[in-house]
Amino acid sequence: MTETRKLLERQAAWQKRRAALTWPEKVHMAEAVRESAAQLSRARSPMTTGVSASRRPGTGEVTTRQAKNDN
Amino acid sequence: MAELLNAMRDAGVISEYALFGAIAQMRYTEPVATLDADVLVAVPPQTLELLKPIYEFCAARGHRPEGAAIRVGAWPVQFVPVFSRLTQEALEEAESADFEGIPLRVVRADHLAVIALSVGRAKDFARILGLLESNSVSREQVARLAARHGLADAWTRFEARFLND
Repeated sequence: MTETRKLLERQAAWQKRRAALTWPEKVHMAEAVRESAAQLSRARSPMTTGVSASRRPGTGEVTTRQAKNDN
Repeated sequence: MAELLNAMRDAGVISEYALFGAIAQMRYTEPVATLDADVLVAVPPQTLELLKPIYEFCAARGHRPEGAAIRVGAWPVQFVPVFSRLTQEALEEAESADFEGIPLRVVRADHLAVIALSVGRAKDFARILGLLESNSVSREQVARLAARHGLADAWTRFEARFLND
């Protein structure tokens, strides 16, 4: 088995474990990510006053890359 | 949030509610990053200003507006009145889930997928793929529901782009 294959299998197992969390656990995990993204946004742009003000309904999800570009 | 939503419904401020968007998606898939919580609501028919009673109800309980949302605990919550036959059906047929001991209504996976299909941006397509990958909904279920809501062509394009070899 190659190192790459081992890595991919570990990643797949990790993803399965995350999917197997309870719904509240997943929401709490997203809370932590949200707070980190907000802190990043504040640190990069002191003028930023809110992260959700311009979000359209049902479109609030943000990738890490998008969070970095929120400024 | 669950307690607030149930209290709001019990007080008659809203007729019904159901979580949708990313928070709802996480019931079915692995966690995803999101900035806010989205709640579909139906308001009593005589309500003229759709969201005003909701804002007043929340303010009376110390929950203040934050941009286009209301801060409830850790989350800015966006209240979205049903805006189509599809979202009306999604609200009516939502399921009651247990959230740390409190019942919380949440939109079904098939409705989440078809609402995402109707919006049609990259992140919405990613949501559909996540729901399919988690086996919480099948391609056939999405196809049937999409057809019923005039989205058969959109689904065909989605399949051709993302699912067919």
